[in-house]
Amino acid sequence: MHATIQKPIEEIIRHIQPEEKVFVVGCNNCAWKCHSGGEEETKAMARRLIERDIAVVGYTVPGPQGMSLCKLDHTRKVLQKDYADQTAQADSFLVLGCGQGVHTVIDATDGGMVHPGCDTIFGGETISESDIQEFCSLCGECVIEYTGGLCPMTLCSKQLLNGPCGGAENGYCEVDKERPCGWVLIYERLKKLGRLDLLEPYQKPKNHARWSRPRTLKVSPHEATFCSQAGKVTVNNQI
Amino acid sequence: MSEKAGTRLEKVLSAGHFAVTAEVGPPRGPNAGAVIEKAQILNGVADAFNVTDNQTAVVRMSSIAASKILLDQQLEPVMQMVCRDRNRIAIQSDLLGASALGIRNVLCLSGDHQKASAGGKLKGHPGARNVYDIDSIQLIRVVRGLRDQAVQEGGDSITEPAPFFIGAAWTPLAPPVAFRTFRLAKKVAAGADFIQTQAVYDLKAFGQAMAKAVDMGLTDKTAILAGIIVPRSAGMLSYMNRSVPGVVVPEALIRRMKTAEDPAREGIRITLELIAGVQEIAGVKGVHLQAIETEHLLPEIIKSAGLLPRPLIV
Repeated sequence: MHATIQKPIEEIIRHIQPEEKVFVVGCNNCAWKCHSGGEEETKAMARRLIERDIAVVGYTVPGPQGMSLCKLDHTRKVLQKDYADQTAQADSFLVLGCGQGVHTVIDATDGGMVHPGCDTIFGGETISESDIQEFCSLCGECVIEYTGGLCPMTLCSKQLLNGPCGGAENGYCEVDKERPCGWVLIYERLKKLGRLDLLEPYQKPKNHARWSRPRTLKVSPHEATFCSQAGKVTVNNQI
Repeated sequence: MSEKAGTRLEKVLSAGHFAVTAEVGPPRGPNAGAVIEKAQILNGVADAFNVTDNQTAVVRMSSIAASKILLDQQLEPVMQMVCRDRNRIAIQSDLLGASALGIRNVLCLSGDHQKASAGGKLKGHPGARNVYDIDSIQLIRVVRGLRDQAVQEGGDSITEPAPFFIGAAWTPLAPPVAFRTFRLAKKVAAGADFIQTQAVYDLKAFGQAMAKAVDMGLTDKTAILAGIIVPRSAGMLSYMNRSVPGVVVPEALIRRMKTAEDPAREGIRITLELIAGVQEIAGVKGVHLQAIETEHLLPEIIKSAGLLPRPLIV
């Protein structure tokens, strides 16, 4: 999921022009889980804006819970058909969702003006309803086969690929004394699994071109093509 | 072993002498005089001099420039290079530049994280983007490629080999301790010709780590220099024990400094005992001495340790 956190309300309204009519859009998937743009927060945002003398022409969170704002065809239908009257009056859309959601609203409104209401902070695992943690940096070249599934690009402050620096202290990272050293976690996990041998081979430098942006993925039921500055990679999902 | 870079440090080690290196921290400013002054104090007391690369993530004169200033003073530098600030393009470009200037020893390090900012004593640049495009072990391979194959990391050739004597760090007592010797083995396999360790205060624990390195045959393939930081006070030792990763200071040593009438003198005595201690440990080929902001103490310490004059190398 894409973790998001709302921007401070003062920062949001600072970018809204006098007389500007705003339509608020939330997301019923990730932002709902993050309490940054679900039904309740979106409704609350409309109220908070009105309390601050902003003209709000409507609000919605497309689809049932679990529906992502970034599903373009659905969001387009909701904004252009279901809420056609309100969105027609809107000068802009305040989006309570991730950066992908913001762009989806641009596409869904045929180029409408947008305001990001959230900062998109990371891709994470929903540990519990109140706890979201980052385990993947979306680097495009997964190295976790030899680390027992724990990503050093994410869990190590220095993104080291060949084991820990000398900076771990009592098992914690030198950068943040409250966070375990990623390589200590990897080591302890592999030790438990009896697979410390995985740490022996030299790991070569990463191909950061696979982390170049923007990237695209074209998919069909049979194959997928990933396109980055590292070139096109097509894989068959069936054979 | 055929000669790698022909540095003084390499020759001292291959001749079987007990090597001495010392650390020279570049100034937090553009004053070459500050480096020259340290060079004049230290001239002749060690075989080579480590020049730190923005250690603790504090901006200082570049290690390349300070290394060149040392060279001009007839001191042989060990240029430290960290992976924090440069990608593989800049790293290799700087290595070629350093080679062109006559710098031949390089110590490959991951580098203190940009959040370190001198342990919070300075503001530093905690918001800087870190690079870590390659890690310290990959850096060792990169330098070896430039030297042995005259080839860049990406596969392109360079006009001629860049001779370097390649160093790396070892923190034997940082967690996970059981993995540390294996990581050392990875550095040696990658091409580390010499190793400088994190500061040793606990001779017993260090001796155990060294015994493992000897068992694994690592001391036949690389020259390990034990790191020793001259203690100045009980407070400094407590701080290092508490806050410097991988530095283990026995309580008795802290107590000794606390009750000493003249802590500075006691620090020198402790340093001399540590030097003698590591000389007794199998596989240790030299010492790497650091007297942080008290470099002037080093000539006396090295002399008292019986390590002067340094061997004449032609």
